[in-house]
Amino acid sequence: MNALARIFASPQGIVFFVAVLFALVLGLINPAFFTPATLIDLARNGLVTGIFALGVMMVLASGGIDVSHTAIGAFAMYATMKIVLGIDLDLPIIAYFVIAAVIGAGLGLINGVLIGGLGLNTLIVTLGTLSFFRGALLTFLGTTYITSVPREVINFSRTILIRIENAVGQMVSLPASFLVLVAVTIVLAIIMNFTVFGRKVYAIGGSEEAAQRIGIRIKRVKVMIYVIAGAIAGLAGMTHVTLSRMANPFDLVGMELNVIAAVVLGGARITGGHGTVLGTLLGVFVITMINTTLLMAGVPSYWQKFVIGCLIIVGTGLPIVIDRLARHRQRMKRPLEAG
Amino acid sequence: MALNLRKLTAGVALGAALIVGAGAVTHAQDAKHSIVTVVKLSGIAWFNRMEEGVKEYAAETGHDATQVGPASADAALQVQMIEDLIAKKVDAITVVPNSPEALEPVLGKALDAGIKVVGHEASSLQNVTYDVEAFDNAAYGRHLMEALAQAMGGEGEYAVFVGHLTAKTHNEWVDAAIAYQKEKYPNMTLVTDKLESNEQQQTAYQKTKELLRTYPNLKGIQGSAGEDVVGAALAVEEAGLDGKVKIVGTSLVSVAGPYLETGAIDMISFWDPAKAGIAMNKVASMAIEGKEITDGMDLGVEGYNAIKLDGKVLYGQAWVDVTTDNMNDYDF
Repeated sequence: MNALARIFASPQGIVFFVAVLFALVLGLINPAFFTPATLIDLARNGLVTGIFALGVMMVLASGGIDVSHTAIGAFAMYATMKIVLGIDLDLPIIAYFVIAAVIGAGLGLINGVLIGGLGLNTLIVTLGTLSFFRGALLTFLGTTYITSVPREVINFSRTILIRIENAVGQMVSLPASFLVLVAVTIVLAIIMNFTVFGRKVYAIGGSEEAAQRIGIRIKRVKVMIYVIAGAIAGLAGMTHVTLSRMANPFDLVGMELNVIAAVVLGGARITGGHGTVLGTLLGVFVITMINTTLLMAGVPSYWQKFVIGCLIIVGTGLPIVIDRLARHRQRMKRPLEAG
Repeated sequence: MALNLRKLTAGVALGAALIVGAGAVTHAQDAKHSIVTVVKLSGIAWFNRMEEGVKEYAAETGHDATQVGPASADAALQVQMIEDLIAKKVDAITVVPNSPEALEPVLGKALDAGIKVVGHEASSLQNVTYDVEAFDNAAYGRHLMEALAQAMGGEGEYAVFVGHLTAKTHNEWVDAAIAYQKEKYPNMTLVTDKLESNEQQQTAYQKTKELLRTYPNLKGIQGSAGEDVVGAALAVEEAGLDGKVKIVGTSLVSVAGPYLETGAIDMISFWDPAKAGIAMNKVASMAIEGKEITDGMDLGVEGYNAIKLDGKVLYGQAWVDVTTDNMNDYDF
């Protein structure tokens, strides 16, 4: 009983529970849900959200928030395509991702300097840069869709890791861009768990005051956080191009709340200090599942947003309520034991 | 004479024109009208194409027809531009508003100043002389459904997309299409509610994947936002269902081109902004000259040969259908 309670109290536990419950209900309504093909579809559909979410998780863990990541991603993806088409050179696909990451890191640096350097509020700064980056993209880089993307990108989009048939005989495939998510996951997991920098991020998120007193150079760490988050957003943008096989400057912006919801659902707290790579991926999985399977469950379009909202409130609220109850119970117990 | 002079300075304001102009004043029809088209946003392919139409009209008629538009799709910037045009005392303003409601006051001011106002994509505008719409939304929806039904052979399951469930135009297209299908093609069935793509290709893709999984016998998809058909086509292609699922909808060649080429998208429709630009300017000229516009009239512009007049709103049948055969005629 105690162990079960502990699982419930941990954010990942509750998300996992929600995911399983949701999957069970879906499976009951539509047995076609329980197939490997569904899993592959989910992995494919959650790809861009997942990469974005990992960057946002790091920012949340440091006690900040970043709503500008989608604009960075859109800017990086469009600028990369413009540059490559402009120089007209055959580059390997990896170079595209490097260019996008560098552009993303550059934009992230602007966030970092404003937040870390000048000490401005993260929400205000990133709300500003969300509009700033997007405006700059549409004003200076263009508003036209790039539908004739380079051959390397098309070839990469057609590269498939796994290809299977689903229950009704349609092909379902996991594109090679899934490897980008895998790579970002591994690198970020190492940074957050096995480097001093990662520890500093959590320390700042836990208590900035305390972190400063133990000698952490907060400004420098914060700038670095936003640079890394920017680079990750750039990678997400480039991944988006390889999935859609076109670069639309109006894409991506608008999904930031979905990404933040996934991260929060995955156990990161807006107040900072908490957040894990695994939890975030779980949160992304749940959000993607909710977003892309309600149709299968026969939920009408108008109801889908309502259901998504309810699940986010329950998913993020329940762990906090359980946590508070547990503490309350502890407090009630203590005087008895003492007496 | 003093009156004539004032008219002249207001109209042409050029000393050189005085001699020629003296005759023109007596025949208002022959005068050079200054008509300015205010668009939502300058520099994008759609309105560049409209400008081509405006220039063509100017070259053809000799009227002073030009196009302006703000650098960002902002109603406030359009209001400023129209204020300037009122101060310049142009003869007519044609406008594609970013937000019809936001422009009502300034357009009212223009009308009070004796300027003719012609709207486009804004049938709800009150302060206009006329409003020109490329087509009646319901008729367009039926047109798309007819195309889809033809492609599907008049039977089978289909689904429809709208950009947003709150987008009025998209819903009007789709509602009319569904009603038309029920009446004319009883062997076709709509599998689920209107789906929302958020005007994002990837959302349309994901929803289509889900549709195919849930309704394996799906044979047709009708899109509304420009991205809908593209996302649907990608999903169909990936699922290995090329040719089995017919896709028809509103889009542009610049967006849907690659999929039209492969035949993954059967047909896209849109209206030609150049033609709309010419039609707006023609209507503005007629209003300046005091000519009446009547139901069933021919504006002499392709697609506007038998207009339907409903109050102040004129509807054409100016949709353009594009398949793999004629996609190279359109560069926007």
